[in-house]
Amino acid sequence: MHGESTYQSEMLAKAGLQAFDEHLSSLRYAGMIQHALMPDEETLSGILKDYFILFLPRDIVSGDFYYAFSNREYLCVAAGDCTGHGVPGALLSILGISFLNEIMQSEKCMKANRVLNMMRERVMKALHQTGEKSGTKDSIDIALCIVSLKTGEMQYAGANRPLVMIRNGELTEYKPDLMTIGLAPVEERAFKNNYIGTRPGDMFYLFSDGFPDQFGEESNKKLKNKNFRKILETASSLTMMKDQKAFLENSFFEWRGKMPQVDDVLIFGFKL
Amino acid sequence: MYMKLCAFRIRNFRSITDTGWQNLSPDNITCLIGQNESGKTSILEGLRSFYTGSISEDVLRSDLTLPEISCRFNVNNGWLSDVTENPGSELKELLSELTTVELTRNWLPDFSSTIKVSGRISEYLDSLENAWGLYLNEVKAKLEKEIEEINRLKSRLDEIMSLKADIIMRANPAAGKGMVGRLFRKSEGGLVERLPADQKHKFNDLVKEEESVRKTLAGKKEIADAGLKYGALLAGLEETDRKLDDLESKLEEYHQKMTLLLMPMDKTEDPEWTKVLEDFRNNRMAKEKLKSDMEAHIAFSGYLMEGRSPEESQMLTLEAMRRYKSQYTSEMLGRKYFEYCPDIEMFEDFGSLLPNRIDLEDIITGNENVEGYKAARNFLTLAKLDYSFFQQPSSRILKQKIENLNNTLTVNFQDFWQQSIGRNNKIKIQFELDHYSLNYSDKAGKPYLEFWVKDSGERLYPKQRSRGVRWFLSFYMELKASAMRSTKPMVLLVDEPGISLHARAQEDVLKVFEDIKDRIQIIYTTHSPHLVDVNKMHRILAVQRDDLDNLKSTTRVLDPLKLASASPDTLTPLQNIMGNPLPSEGFSANRLNLIVNDTGTFYLISCIIQVTGFKGKISIIPSTDVSSIPLMCNIMMGWGLKFAVLLFGNERERKLEEYLKENMFRPGDKEGDYLIVTDPRFLNAEDLLSTLDFKNHVLKTREGITVPNSVYMEEKELPRSFLLSRLLGDVRQGRIEPGDFDEETHENFRYLVELLKGFK
Repeated sequence: MHGESTYQSEMLAKAGLQAFDEHLSSLRYAGMIQHALMPDEETLSGILKDYFILFLPRDIVSGDFYYAFSNREYLCVAAGDCTGHGVPGALLSILGISFLNEIMQSEKCMKANRVLNMMRERVMKALHQTGEKSGTKDSIDIALCIVSLKTGEMQYAGANRPLVMIRNGELTEYKPDLMTIGLAPVEERAFKNNYIGTRPGDMFYLFSDGFPDQFGEESNKKLKNKNFRKILETASSLTMMKDQKAFLENSFFEWRGKMPQVDDVLIFGFKL
Repeated sequence: MYMKLCAFRIRNFRSITDTGWQNLSPDNITCLIGQNESGKTSILEGLRSFYTGSISEDVLRSDLTLPEISCRFNVNNGWLSDVTENPGSELKELLSELTTVELTRNWLPDFSSTIKVSGRISEYLDSLENAWGLYLNEVKAKLEKEIEEINRLKSRLDEIMSLKADIIMRANPAAGKGMVGRLFRKSEGGLVERLPADQKHKFNDLVKEEESVRKTLAGKKEIADAGLKYGALLAGLEETDRKLDDLESKLEEYHQKMTLLLMPMDKTEDPEWTKVLEDFRNNRMAKEKLKSDMEAHIAFSGYLMEGRSPEESQMLTLEAMRRYKSQYTSEMLGRKYFEYCPDIEMFEDFGSLLPNRIDLEDIITGNENVEGYKAARNFLTLAKLDYSFFQQPSSRILKQKIENLNNTLTVNFQDFWQQSIGRNNKIKIQFELDHYSLNYSDKAGKPYLEFWVKDSGERLYPKQRSRGVRWFLSFYMELKASAMRSTKPMVLLVDEPGISLHARAQEDVLKVFEDIKDRIQIIYTTHSPHLVDVNKMHRILAVQRDDLDNLKSTTRVLDPLKLASASPDTLTPLQNIMGNPLPSEGFSANRLNLIVNDTGTFYLISCIIQVTGFKGKISIIPSTDVSSIPLMCNIMMGWGLKFAVLLFGNERERKLEEYLKENMFRPGDKEGDYLIVTDPRFLNAEDLLSTLDFKNHVLKTREGITVPNSVYMEEKELPRSFLLSRLLGDVRQGRIEPGDFDEETHENFRYLVELLKGFK
């Protein structure tokens, strides 16, 4: 009797482990697909002169995503942060990427705020968000820039995510609209378009809230935006973007220490 | 204090399956709009039937389901408990807190009807009935068990008798049949004595059991009797139910036949029908009686089973019925409250047509059969005259008084009738008292009243006036007199008032409604924009078919908050008044006539002009459809008016652009002089709004929209003209301000304005 029960437990444990292995490998595969949907190095280096992407998902798949698109007239970059992380966030990020692709490829008269307005319509429709009780409350925070290749003028529109510009070592933050890409609490309003005259050497940073929200081992407190900006300012003194990435990555791990990572981390930096 | 009608619900009446509860306008004027055949008149007739209780086959739906019409009335707090005598403490508490009461009229297969109180009061009464019903069911189950036990005992007794006979027979085979009979008589006891010991023992056991069974049965004699009566009542009820089922089928067949024939028939002349009807009514009464007897009998049996005497049980039954059953039923209260129901009358067109002449004697004696009696009576009511007025001995004084009255009546009438014949020539109503001459031998010397409708040019009898004047005069007198006479509230149902009137006179109809609304509640149907007050949209109920292309589909009623989902045709009167193409905006010789595809676009372009403050000299002319634009171009050309066509990027207008270029404009004409073609991304006018503004200000919804606004409108089959006219109304009345539109919309508006400005 006892022998039989041990045997059963062993079999169950074995079956459990097998199921876990299967889940893990399917998640890893999902992670690969998610990565494949985001622009690869070759695409990015074709669009941007110098850039870096610090992408540290908390889990195998991520709720953060980055995006880049270019045609003869303009280039567009974006960094998004979907509600949640892991699988739910990743599913939403895939929706976000495909909506951005669809909008960018169909629109002729491109405006950053219009892209976000259109993206919000698509997310609300896909998630059946009507303001009624039914439908999910999921949404995407995103910062999106469109740069005219002719004039160098940049448009920025943000849904809860800001844009940081560093020019000659001085940091300027462009505030986002305090709205998300999804159902607003009361009524959806149009996103605002910010026009930024750019100069060669200007550096821009789009990022999710994973870095500033990370708890530090020593202080057991969040890093917060103010300190994150200081780190960005320091990083910007490094000429090469890849060096800035290394600096930021080291800073993150140093700050985090042995604390668990709380959220996905994404910083998309580029130089014009 | 009386009840005020505040809502209705009509079920299974002509095209109506169920209107749901529809609130009437609280300011006493409710307007039903909708296409022909939408069911507006059915609603009025339904309300009238609620009041009169009478229906005919033609109101039945094809499945012959019988109508049910409910009305909800407002009452003062505490009024219900005041008019209900001895309601009992619980019912009184409920009645004193209610400020509305619902009455429902149901029809039976013989077209008789019952009026019941429904809603919260009936729920309470039903709960009492349910308690009584539950109690009876419990007793009934117990009684049936008892009957079963009695039957079991009776068969056991038969079995014992047969076993005893068996024993005797086996011991004395020669005893024969006669012996068995004797066995049960004491004198034959010897037979038992002669039995072998074991048989004798068995026999004695049976005797003991027999005694015990007999004793038990004797104790249950009254219950057994009650059981027999229960069985008889049950059989009676079953038989009556069966008969009623048969009769109902016959009545249905008859209704079906009548509905198919679509002709009224004098039912009293059909003996078969009369017999069926009589049987049905008798059986219904018999069933009610049997049901009530059965209830009392079950309760009575319950007490018997508790061991009470029949007399005691009878008394307790009466007491229990008093305790469990409210003294009021829904029907009794329904009948009681209905006494206070307002009179619900249908306004009869031309029902109050003034005669040219009427004898005073006929008025005094109330001779309703004489032509124009009703109108003459209304006239005297309006003049506040009673018959003693005419007994004034001095004819000079009488004539002067009549002259004064005529002036007053005319002034009052002219307050409502604005139309003039010619410039300042308003019509006057007059009456005169005169006497028959000797030429009328039988009436010579008798007084009569003569009526005139005068203007400065002519003095004509009422019947010589136009249909419109006659209708309005009849309508005015009927309503004003009813309002003056009414001692009881009245609901007046008016079907399409003033069809034959000029637009201004139709507005006068509304003035009469406004004037009497404090005394008479009005529910009217209309197609006319002049009979809808745009500032009082709460008065509107839109009536339409579920399937707009199918006249057999059911009628749906939409309240003011749901008007956006009504079909464009239903809303025609509203569209015509909300941002209506004003008379000043018609074809213009001094302005550029800008032809647009339809009224929806007209409203939106008007809105853009308002928002941007565009001052260009443009008159917007809505076409009925894209296909009518060439015709309008021809007219403009023929009249030599300056015009242009605004075309959007949809397929039909792109094709039209080609057509106009090829066929309409002469060679050498620059089509640019006639055509304003927008960027192809604007498939229709509503695409000039950003998706967000379209949702927030036009649709007033929040769902995600990923297609152009015009495509969304088409896909969802939305009433485009109505929605865009509502937007224009909101902008004109300042409910939506220019700053409420977003940057994208403003940009598109500026784009259009630039197109218009660029047009020379």
